[in-house]
Amino acid sequence: MPNPQRPLAPITPLHQDVAERLADAMFALATPSRLQILASLRAGPLTVSQIIHEVGMEQSAVSHQLRVLRDHAVVSVERRGRERVYTLRDGDVSALLDHAYRHVLALMGGDAGDARARREAS
Amino acid sequence: MSTAATPFPRSADRRSALDRAHIGDIHGAFGSVECYDTGPRLTRRRQLRTMLAILGPGLIVMAADKDAGTMSVFAQAGQEHGMELLWVLVVLAPLLYVSQEMAARLGAVTGTGHARLVLERFGRLWCAFSLTDLLILNFAILVTEFIGVALSLSYFGVSRYLAVPLAAAALIVVSATGNFRRWERAMYALILADVGVVALALIARPSPSTISSGLVPAVDHGAATPMLLLLIALIGTTLTPWQIFFQQSNVIDKRITSRWLAYERIDTAIGTAVFILAAGAILIACAAAYAHVGPRTGFTDAADIARGLDAHLGRAAGAIFAIALLNASMLGAAAVSLSSSYATSEVLGVKHSLHRSFTDARVFHGCFATFIVIAACTVLIPGAPLGVITTHVQALAGILLPCTLVLLLLLCNDAQLLGPLTNPRWLNVAGALAVATILGLSTMLTLTTIFPAVGLRDTLYVTLALLIAATAVIGLTMARAQPHERFDGGLTPWERKTWTSPMLERLAAPASSPARTLGLAMLRGYTTVMVVLLLARLVTLLAR
Repeated sequence: MPNPQRPLAPITPLHQDVAERLADAMFALATPSRLQILASLRAGPLTVSQIIHEVGMEQSAVSHQLRVLRDHAVVSVERRGRERVYTLRDGDVSALLDHAYRHVLALMGGDAGDARARREAS
Repeated sequence: MSTAATPFPRSADRRSALDRAHIGDIHGAFGSVECYDTGPRLTRRRQLRTMLAILGPGLIVMAADKDAGTMSVFAQAGQEHGMELLWVLVVLAPLLYVSQEMAARLGAVTGTGHARLVLERFGRLWCAFSLTDLLILNFAILVTEFIGVALSLSYFGVSRYLAVPLAAAALIVVSATGNFRRWERAMYALILADVGVVALALIARPSPSTISSGLVPAVDHGAATPMLLLLIALIGTTLTPWQIFFQQSNVIDKRITSRWLAYERIDTAIGTAVFILAAGAILIACAAAYAHVGPRTGFTDAADIARGLDAHLGRAAGAIFAIALLNASMLGAAAVSLSSSYATSEVLGVKHSLHRSFTDARVFHGCFATFIVIAACTVLIPGAPLGVITTHVQALAGILLPCTLVLLLLLCNDAQLLGPLTNPRWLNVAGALAVATILGLSTMLTLTTIFPAVGLRDTLYVTLALLIAATAVIGLTMARAQPHERFDGGLTPWERKTWTSPMLERLAAPASSPARTLGLAMLRGYTTVMVVLLLARLVTLLAR
């Protein structure tokens, strides 16, 4: 089984511009409500009203956070009739969430959390 | 370097930001400060170096405040009334400093721009109000800045059809480079030529006794009405809403945190001093130039002032004034338009930073460019009623200012946002007094603009009645706002100094108070009535 924590390509030395871009991407993930929205999108594309229902936040808050996510190219939007359907931009965003989740779970629950995360990831 | 650097408290490390580019090292025009720098500033040398790096938002906002409109009004004051209105500057200095300090503090502590804070703490309706006010007023001011560019270059014989597009293009290029330091250096270059007006006061060589006589307010009963109008215009052009929005956002964009608040206050004080010196120099020079010239005839425009200075004080004086007018208009245009695009992008939640290039923050720079281009085109329309626009802009600014100031005061009393750094009581009292005075003066200006036939005395009575009602409501609001959660949490001096607001979405909803809502609604109602009256007058003037 390949080690999922191994990077695809060596990223050191990290160029300043690339570091800024990475920090921008991480910034988009750095708010609890945005993480909740992203997590709800992991299962598949959702309309705004579906996201509101999933995360239980106010419409204005959801719209605002979706705009931030779109501005940082983390989600993409597509018009279907009168509705806007949001999707995670690519599988890497989903992977970022997975890895962050596993990292935090490991810190919280030690080995037990790690095992649970591994079970869920597989 | 200190041996054991004090770490930042957790709140400061987890600083809330609307844009990732707002977090990081400070790159000022004259130096940098690392974001992890907690070392004490023990030597004068280090303090000075830090000061030079932090210097910027306060200086730029004040230099930009001395824009085309302000220069014209102060020149007019000198031309028509000599030194008589010099004392106004002494009154304006503390007002200017206090309001800008509040905005800078809000920015440094919360990391959130003014428009967005209004959205978060007062809701969408109030945000919509203050954002539309800001955008409309800024557009009008932007037009006056381009009129300033056209007038100053017409003094040198350059066509406005060449001058205005060039100025607009330069402004867009400078802000879209995506390099904060370069932007700030460009602003400093403009400021440098701008403060050249101080030389005018030296050329004019006024006697110290006439200057000191101007520092004492005197009422000349014969000329009371025009002087009062001018007095109001002086205040209306000096204190404008965009300054608050601009400084708050620019402090954040420069990455100044509460740890550097002391330096940012000095920056604001230096800026205030520069403004007072420059505005005073214009007034003194115009007073001296026109002192011995027949009757004090009516003021026409700033280019006329430059020609007058040329005739009475020598060629250099006219050129200095025209160059300063050009630079001041450019600075004003840059800052005013930035305040619009900062505010719009904050509310939308898109990237907004001078650290970002055009391609990286399209909405932010796109807004900036759009505002600039539309305003520049308006000035170039043949036969556009520029004079009417300019006079009405001052009245509009005066009407909209109280709303902005009241929201600013309320935000500065929000213990959730500012914690131990909320306004002290004396500042609230001073702020409420300032709001009441400006409300009174702007009401008088509006009434006299809309109903020129009504006498000054009647206007004064109406204004006083309105003022008393408004003061009562605001006082009530402030009194009710006071007792709620006053912050004291047994913090160490370091924790107080570096206190930072929690992340926006973790803030508890503001406590709703009926008194506050009523006060705000009354203020809004008053503002709306005044704006409608002003528009009605503008339409009838234009229809003629």
